[in-house]
Amino acid sequence: MNRLKKKDQSALDYLFDHYSGAIYGVIFRILKKEEIAEEVLQDVFLKVWDRIESYDSSKGKLFTWMINIARNQAIDSTRSKENSKSRKTDDIDYLVSKIDIQEHSQLPVDAIGLKEVLQQLTEEQQFIISQLYLKGYTQSEVAEEFNIPLGTVKTRLRLAMIELRAILDIK
Amino acid sequence: MNIKEYIASGILEAYALGELSANEREAVEKNLQQHPALREELSIIEQSVEALLMQAAVKPRAEVKTKLFEKIKQETAAKVIPMPPTSTAPWRYATAASVAIALLSSYLAFDYWDKWKKSETSLTNLVAQNQRIAQDYNNVNLRLDRIETDMKVTSNPDFTRVVMKGTPNAPESIASIYWNEQTKEVYLSIQNMKALSKENQYQLWAIIDGKPVDCGVFDSTVAGLLKMKEAAQFPTTFAVTIEPRGGKPSPSLETMQVAGNVAKV
Repeated sequence: MNRLKKKDQSALDYLFDHYSGAIYGVIFRILKKEEIAEEVLQDVFLKVWDRIESYDSSKGKLFTWMINIARNQAIDSTRSKENSKSRKTDDIDYLVSKIDIQEHSQLPVDAIGLKEVLQQLTEEQQFIISQLYLKGYTQSEVAEEFNIPLGTVKTRLRLAMIELRAILDIK
Repeated sequence: MNIKEYIASGILEAYALGELSANEREAVEKNLQQHPALREELSIIEQSVEALLMQAAVKPRAEVKTKLFEKIKQETAAKVIPMPPTSTAPWRYATAASVAIALLSSYLAFDYWDKWKKSETSLTNLVAQNQRIAQDYNNVNLRLDRIETDMKVTSNPDFTRVVMKGTPNAPESIASIYWNEQTKEVYLSIQNMKALSKENQYQLWAIIDGKPVDCGVFDSTVAGLLKMKEAAQFPTTFAVTIEPRGGKPSPSLETMQVAGNVAKV
């Protein structure tokens, strides 16, 4: 972390080798297009590099910070892409759901490990986890889009997370 | 505050997802500082998400990393090193520095302008030179083509060479004929023929059965081989006369310049 704040490029190198896959996975699942996703991935790492001073470890893990940058950047990109294409409203809920409906059937090759993990959850929990963490929806978007009360979304997520930590063996 | 209820509300998950408003976030951060149990819970949530997303990783192509580091290199190189602040009379130094910079940059500007002008001139010269060389090359190429065609005639054993020597009218003149008995083709090559006035031209005749047959007209400036009219039958002699421009149906024999007999094979 210190090396990163001192702008040591080898630290960024390490960060990229370790986390680019997980970050790219999130971006790719939101954008579904390799070219754009690669560009966004590059932007995310440039942002991480430029803003590393503003990262505060007392507020959360570096990975969480990076993933949130990536998710925002990817959603921004869908918005600008859709805007330039169809000049429709820039309502994120609408856009995210539209993309999802269009490309629902061809979700990218989710790793076998991930499938195994998700299969151990109930269907409801699988749904909530993949919407929030893999497809980049917010809780309120899921609630609105699928007609589930926001409170229910939150409880389901909470239960799913407790299940997950057991499956992933996190103490 | 009931820690259990707070955790059960799912607010930490929302916090980790970056979904809270600025106010909510601040409140959560305050609570995190006060309650180690919350920090521990958040850490577990973050680890779970990290482990999950690691399982869902998609490896980007190797070029992305290369490009990223190239870009960072460029950005780092472009960044200006900030000047350290000075405490004693900074404006003096600032003024001196700006005057120096102004002088230096005017000088540099002039210097670069001058260099630019010079290089522009030399570029124009080079372009012109390049064009000249290209033209020369084309000319040489054309000449080479012609020589190659000529070579095909002169080196072909089917062609008989007939040397036409100067008559008393023009003892210095000399020209040659390449004649192919099979194809009846006739080529003329001038070694030395004097220049004529604009009204006149040379005319080649083939003497067949004692009668002159027109083989076409030519000027003294011909270089290389010139294809003439075909000689239909076996000529005994080739001769050249001076005729009005365009030629005549029958020769003015008194103007005969050169003549040569065809050797019987």
